[in-house]
Amino acid sequence: MIAVLSVAAFMVAQLKPVRLTNPSPKGELSAPPEIDAVLRRACYDCHSDQTRWPWYSRVAPFSWAVAHDVNLARREVNFSEWGEYYPATRKRKLEWMERALLEEVMPPWSYRLIHPGARLSDDDRVRLERWIETELDVPANGPSAK
Amino acid sequence: MPRRTLIKSTLTAAALSLIALCAPSFAAATDPTEIRFENHQFNPQTLTVPAGQALSIKVVNASNETIEFESFKLNREKAVSPGESITVGLPALSTGSYDFYDDFHQDVPDGSIVAK
Repeated sequence: MIAVLSVAAFMVAQLKPVRLTNPSPKGELSAPPEIDAVLRRACYDCHSDQTRWPWYSRVAPFSWAVAHDVNLARREVNFSEWGEYYPATRKRKLEWMERALLEEVMPPWSYRLIHPGARLSDDDRVRLERWIETELDVPANGPSAK
Repeated sequence: MPRRTLIKSTLTAAALSLIALCAPSFAAATDPTEIRFENHQFNPQTLTVPAGQALSIKVVNASNETIEFESFKLNREKAVSPGESITVGLPALSTGSYDFYDDFHQDVPDGSIVAK
């Protein structure tokens, strides 16, 4: 009986639509190739408009969680909108990225578990930290600075 | 009175005394100071708080868009849905200025919490 109810609930869950979209990039981040490669491998699935939606993102209830996480992640930092950010906003995003790197909270462990290829090696971390430091050294001023 | 009961009573009394002693500071820490978000800005934009004292800040989102109350200096980030409010607990702050902003809308003017 429980099995039948579970299957029924699973089937009903599939009726709730989830929008999995990849909007056109508005201002893709321009980074050195080695940085770009790391970001695309470890971050882009959530923090860009170029998400490679995995198969389970089309199966409820996983689809709900994935859509929610990606939407939130894009609002936190979206490398496809990097060019649209004010210089001060970019600086803040970089500072948070640096903190996330140092605390090793990104990519999240749950994501790394399912996507082992997204794990950052020590070299990746060092490379990213150096790049962030370089970017932070660029003065955050100009006409659109907040 | 058996020795075990005596120890238990003493420990209970000690724990209750400790709670009573901590009560005033705990009450101060949970009494929130309010920051309101409406008309696409935080109000007040500068919030002055006592330095060296733990505090809670209530962030009310009176707008119809989701915001994220964020402060890098305070290491806090929390999304607030329209019409909802959150309470942000802060440790005792050193004297200084701590900026906060809406991470979801970069055109919203920054605010700051000034600890004096």
